[in-house]
Amino acid sequence: MMWLSGGFIFRRGTSVYHRLDPRVKLLISSLMFVTTLLVRSLYELAMVIAFMVAVAAVATVLRRVARTMALTFIFSTVIFVLNLIVTKNLETSALYAVRFVAIVVSTSLFFITTSPDELEQVMKTFRLPRDVVFAFVTAVRFIPVMMLDTLQIMDAQKSRGLELEKGNIIRRVRNMIPVLIPLVVNSVVRSGELAEAMESRAYGAVRRPTSLVEYKASWADKVVAFAAVAIFVLTAYSFYFVLPTTVL
Amino acid sequence: MANILEIEGLSFRYPDSTRKAVVDFHLAVPEGEIVVLAGPSGCGKSTLLRAVNGLIPHMYSGEYSGDVRVGGASVKSSTMTDLAQRVGFLFQNPENQIFMFTVERDIAFGLENLGVPRPEIRSRVDEAMGLLGIGELALRAPYELSDGQKQRVALAGVLAMRPRLVILDEPTSLLDPKTAAELVGIVAKLRLDLGMTFLVVEHRLDLLVKLADRLVVMNEGKKVLEGTPREVLFGGEAEAYGVSVPAVTKVQKLLASDGLVREDELLSAQELAAAVRSAEA
Repeated sequence: MMWLSGGFIFRRGTSVYHRLDPRVKLLISSLMFVTTLLVRSLYELAMVIAFMVAVAAVATVLRRVARTMALTFIFSTVIFVLNLIVTKNLETSALYAVRFVAIVVSTSLFFITTSPDELEQVMKTFRLPRDVVFAFVTAVRFIPVMMLDTLQIMDAQKSRGLELEKGNIIRRVRNMIPVLIPLVVNSVVRSGELAEAMESRAYGAVRRPTSLVEYKASWADKVVAFAAVAIFVLTAYSFYFVLPTTVL
Repeated sequence: MANILEIEGLSFRYPDSTRKAVVDFHLAVPEGEIVVLAGPSGCGKSTLLRAVNGLIPHMYSGEYSGDVRVGGASVKSSTMTDLAQRVGFLFQNPENQIFMFTVERDIAFGLENLGVPRPEIRSRVDEAMGLLGIGELALRAPYELSDGQKQRVALAGVLAMRPRLVILDEPTSLLDPKTAAELVGIVAKLRLDLGMTFLVVEHRLDLLVKLADRLVVMNEGKKVLEGTPREVLFGGEAEAYGVSVPAVTKVQKLLASDGLVREDELLSAQELAAAVRSAEA
């Protein structure tokens, strides 16, 4: 699980890419995602990945993305082997395997450069109901709190003789029960307190709450968004009409 | 001065309980007072606080009788939205009342919910941060804050709503002595500068007695003692209800019984030291 957190959890940054409007970052990641699905040869895929690496370099998250890529290879190896068994075609299997890496990178680029605050803003742009957005916000907000809770409970139970690291996999899973039960109980108590605090701060008072921060796409954001769409269109066009079809 | 809070014969029983949590409770608090509520765990303090800010009866149903009025308006017939602006509630655990990813956005939370326009939110958030001296924390995430800082952020979120009455539920229970003393200093300043009224549940009386206008002791849902801190703490009954009488008071009682100082009902170490010096002279 740790590799996932490394590749998807936001850390504050000051790069030009970090400062882009979150909606533009979402657009770029979505377009990269779609492009990987349009790819029909390893050669084209290599171009797309090179582009992603360039974006990662601009965002100064190259090392983290590289780590995500390296760890994704476990999954892509499985994909490669399965495809090889089914299709018996080396290049198709490699394409699927590497495509998986590219898909993960395109999504992780969005998540590691976009703060939860900005994610909330993106959700609001899509006009998701306030309750849904707020549920998401609190869920993300309490991840570090619950992680700390878990560690504390684990320590407490270990000090009472619970051996978490012993036995086979079934045994280990079962060992987690004394950790999970207090964790769930804690969370239920916490949610009650949260509800009280929400009521006390007028949650749900008006249908359209206002917001302290305003995200306005700047002139630069618009240029980047336009460039991203243009690059996407050109790439898609060249995939189908310029570059020779090899595999699919 | 007019009473900002009036509790008249309040009784409340939670639906799943056989015993009333609060029994025939009366209290009147004039505007600008600091009232400290003490008593053993489970004596009904939390229930009383919830009844003042409207969580009871609006969020918790149960057997409710009597009346609670804030600023003249009955809590029962007011909406939670309305009450949220008149009564601020600082809960015991600040962690569970910070919702957003940055300090300033969390302070703005209540105002956003009320639909206050952006420029007004900005100025009130800045004002609240200024009052508590946390301006430099504006863009920090909750997990980057110490317990004392979290407490201040949560309080700033309450103050941004500009309530006239603020409830503090054991505000120093998670704080180290120095930070606790700072928080008490903030309360004193807010009362002085803004004329805010405070209803404080607190076990560490030594910090608050000097500041409090009134001390109310509860036991088994009932009000058992009420008066100035001096009256209550030197009355002799407080200890029987599990109230932690400040060490200064205890020392003074011992010295007075030996005839070393007069029983002058002193509450601070400075006062006691002065009394001992004058007795020596």
